[in-house]
Amino acid sequence: MGWESWIVDTLRRALAYGTPLLWGTLGEIYAERAGVVNLGVEGMMILGALSAFAVAQSTGNPWIGVLAAAVVGGLAALIHAFFSVTLRANQYVSGLALTIFGLGLSGLLGTSWVGISLKNPLPKATIPGLSRIPILGDALFRDHSYLTYIGLFLAVVLWFVLYKTRWGISIRSVGESPSTADAMGINVFLVRYLCVIFGGVLAGVAGGFLSVEYRPSWTEGMTAGMGWIVIALTIFAAWDPLQAVGGVVLFGGLYHLAYRLQRWFPPEFLKLMPYAFAILVLAVAGLRKVRRGAPAALGLPYVRGQR
Amino acid sequence: MKRLGPFVFERRLAPTRAAILGYSLLAILAALIVMSFIFWAYGVSPIKAYSVIGRTTLGSRFGLMEILRRAIPLLLCGVGLVIAFRAKFWNIGAEGQLLAGAVAATWVALFSGVSGPMKLPLMFVLGFAAGAVWGIIPALLKVKLQVNDVISTLMMNYIMAYFVKWLIYGPWRGPTMRGFAYTDLFPRDAWLPLIRHSKVHWPTLVIGIAAAVLAALILSRTRLGYEIRVVGDSPDAAHYAGISFLGVSLWVMLLSGGLAGLAGVGEVAGIHHRLLEPDHVSLGYGYTAIIVAWLARGSPLAAIITSLLFGLIFAAGDEIKVTLQMPFQITGVFNGLILFFLIGVEVFLYWKIRVVRGGKETEWAGKAGS
Amino acid sequence: MRKLVLLTAVILLFGLVVFGAEKIKAGFVYVGPIGDYGWTHAHDLARRIVDDKFDWLETVYVESVPEGQEGAIIDRLIAQGCNVIFTTSFGFMDGPLEAAMRYPDVIFAHCSGFKRYKNMATYMADFYQVYYLNGLMAGALTKTGKIGYVAAHPIPELKRHINAFTIGVREVNPDAEVHVRWIYSWYDPAAAKEATEALIAEGCDVFAFTEDSPTVVQVAAENGLPSFAHYSPMLKFAPDHVVSGQLVHWEKIYEDFLVKVHEGIYTTENLAYVDYWWTLPQGAVELGADFGVPINPVWEDELKAKVIDHPVFGKVSIYDLVMIRHSQFGAPGITFDPFQGPVYDRKGVLRIPEGTWPSYETLVTMQWAVDGVVGPWPGEPEE
Repeated sequence: MGWESWIVDTLRRALAYGTPLLWGTLGEIYAERAGVVNLGVEGMMILGALSAFAVAQSTGNPWIGVLAAAVVGGLAALIHAFFSVTLRANQYVSGLALTIFGLGLSGLLGTSWVGISLKNPLPKATIPGLSRIPILGDALFRDHSYLTYIGLFLAVVLWFVLYKTRWGISIRSVGESPSTADAMGINVFLVRYLCVIFGGVLAGVAGGFLSVEYRPSWTEGMTAGMGWIVIALTIFAAWDPLQAVGGVVLFGGLYHLAYRLQRWFPPEFLKLMPYAFAILVLAVAGLRKVRRGAPAALGLPYVRGQR
Repeated sequence: MKRLGPFVFERRLAPTRAAILGYSLLAILAALIVMSFIFWAYGVSPIKAYSVIGRTTLGSRFGLMEILRRAIPLLLCGVGLVIAFRAKFWNIGAEGQLLAGAVAATWVALFSGVSGPMKLPLMFVLGFAAGAVWGIIPALLKVKLQVNDVISTLMMNYIMAYFVKWLIYGPWRGPTMRGFAYTDLFPRDAWLPLIRHSKVHWPTLVIGIAAAVLAALILSRTRLGYEIRVVGDSPDAAHYAGISFLGVSLWVMLLSGGLAGLAGVGEVAGIHHRLLEPDHVSLGYGYTAIIVAWLARGSPLAAIITSLLFGLIFAAGDEIKVTLQMPFQITGVFNGLILFFLIGVEVFLYWKIRVVRGGKETEWAGKAGS
Repeated sequence: MRKLVLLTAVILLFGLVVFGAEKIKAGFVYVGPIGDYGWTHAHDLARRIVDDKFDWLETVYVESVPEGQEGAIIDRLIAQGCNVIFTTSFGFMDGPLEAAMRYPDVIFAHCSGFKRYKNMATYMADFYQVYYLNGLMAGALTKTGKIGYVAAHPIPELKRHINAFTIGVREVNPDAEVHVRWIYSWYDPAAAKEATEALIAEGCDVFAFTEDSPTVVQVAAENGLPSFAHYSPMLKFAPDHVVSGQLVHWEKIYEDFLVKVHEGIYTTENLAYVDYWWTLPQGAVELGADFGVPINPVWEDELKAKVIDHPVFGKVSIYDLVMIRHSQFGAPGITFDPFQGPVYDRKGVLRIPEGTWPSYETLVTMQWAVDGVVGPWPGEPEE
């Protein structure tokens, strides 16, 4: 085993572990780009995980499970949208409430699904052609979940939409200055609702990935804090879908290495490495005076006729 | 002003205290009503459920003490977060700062060689210092290197948790603990005194209330308080007024982290008497305190009330598990509902809503001059 | 004087009979959620079994009780009439002990602890013999000579299990290594999965673990590799790849204990030396990945076909070796211990002298690692 296998394994695992993080982060980026912080990612993910498992097990089709996760994630996000956009409530608290509520509800409803093995997990795929590329082919295009490929593709599409299309301009202007956007004739409330719900849909899929692919079974609390990593990655990626891919690969790779390197380093320090590294990268970016501006109206409810 | 169908929303600038209290109670009542359907669906009579919860928490000495015990760390962390949030510093890291305080207290208790009456005060002093250091780092990172405060404080929670694990699995593992990951028990001179027949470590409670009063004085009566408020309300104005953003951030996080550190001292010296797994040292008090602080709406004194409210919710959660034999997740559902309703009534606090029929709308528009 | 003694004895006896005839209300304090499919799940399964079995018994439980909060929970349970309290985490140690002193009329039993009192016993169902048996099979099945072990926390219980497992591995395959990864959590599926993947990348091709989820079994199966289940029946999670594993029967201990309380054998005065350390002979644990299936039939042929030259039994197939060793742990008497001396740790220190078995103390405080264990070992004693 040479250095190639280290690179291949690390990248492979980074992507596999990172897939739910990527979906969740892409969704959160859109919500926050429209000016709405949603700390309910963990709650939406866990509700998605339960619904995906229950539906996939009942129907025998994991894709219907993923679809159910998307719908449930979207509905959960709708609650947040209602509170934060319509009622203009504090977004941080509304999101926290969603996380607490989702963890509780999923545990309550999920008891009968504990200890069951999923009949038909989501299949894996190899991309012909691309998988032949030396090293990178094995790492990125062989035997990954469909959701991994879709997630990577989605990152590119979402980047394009955000920066190169009218929709993207609308979303960003709503997040930067809702009053200006309003004056331009953009329906601020609609854009925010759609972005928050879209974020919930992706978070739901992220949870569904966990229960029908990554570890095809249901256990309560199985998201185990991933939703919080998503929140951090969103900021880390500077609200940019492509940088999100980089952040996810970095975080996932470090997470994998924490187990590869245990033979040589104290395990506790390896386990805190991804978290310390996140701060370090931001600090270095700060040293180099890289500007990473948050959407200006992030976290602020919009009230028509007020500045 | 905004019109939605027949409803007209008017901005209310400062809600009165009575309105805040009234609407908050209304929200809790609404949450209880929704919750009663869940009890009912679970086969438990809601009337029985609430009478049991009421009797065993507010209705008994034991229950009241349990509420107080849970309120102590929430109060200390909550007051600190109120200060931080006033300066718009998003400190999500009270949990890690609390653990830092617990680590420092453990060092004093077991490894410093100090003993006697000065030991407990020293534990509090160093606990405060450790929490403050853990709080100042994100402040420096934010001001000097533009590192986002949410991310740095959140990540530092994880880092401190793994540091605690390293200590208890490694150098600090107690020889009398048969290899399990706990430090040895603290000697008795490092135990906080308790209110009789309870687990309420009253010195920490006293410190918490004193901190709330002091914080209120600092915010309203001192130059620092003024600067904190200006930085929080308008960073631009602060800049023109020559207020040092660095100085304010450092002070705010020193106080915020330090108070959370004190909460950590209280938990290890008052409850556990040893250092153990981070999830057991604190039951997410640092995170719950975010809500405690938000509900206090910028007032350290109000944090006394809101921390008691969440102390009550923690205690009620235990009762739901023990007396009603319901799954523990029900407390999560319950807490989530209460929060949703509490923020839901915000709209009534900051907005006056009136029903308008037909063409009278313009009249109202004319009045809403502000 | 004699009359007085007699009278006292009669009163005591009467007291016992009265206590014995009483209904028992047992409260169970769990550290985790009953849906964890591991430790707490197994305790609750056992609670339901004994609850159904005896009409004089009523049980209540409290799940997800953090360490340090058990005192208040015990107070509440006793307030609602519990007269027997089971606490199922080592970390609850001080809570039950303080409560036992505070409530002299209540019987306590503390799982996996070591502090006892006149009205507080301790109990534990331990797997080390079963891990050893699994090790025999794992050692025979590895082709790369590397076996992966995903472990929750570096505490004596797990170290004992990893050591016993490794001794089994080395008995049939003296050059094989057991690669250990710690995830620092009883329950973290993502951590367990990535630890398993890291071990696969390192070349491990057989897996065992101590953690509260079937993750390792599932991940190994995805990669077409055999594994050994832990704690709950996990055969169904990978019917073709799980070889064997260990299962627990807490109800054996709960039944024995509660019946003895009911019959007045255990009282609030005589528990200071009652310590259950139940293993294979008492039926508190079982070999297998599902009840009644010691070895997955899918793997039987391969284990029967693999024959080694054993220092004690001569030419013997792995399957037979497992069965022989298994019977040596059974009734009527145990004739073998995995830690039969001499046992050296991996730093070369003699830990268990030639011809002796480890004492209970040695087992429950084990900190060293045997030869063959590869990987970090937090808390490893210096030479």
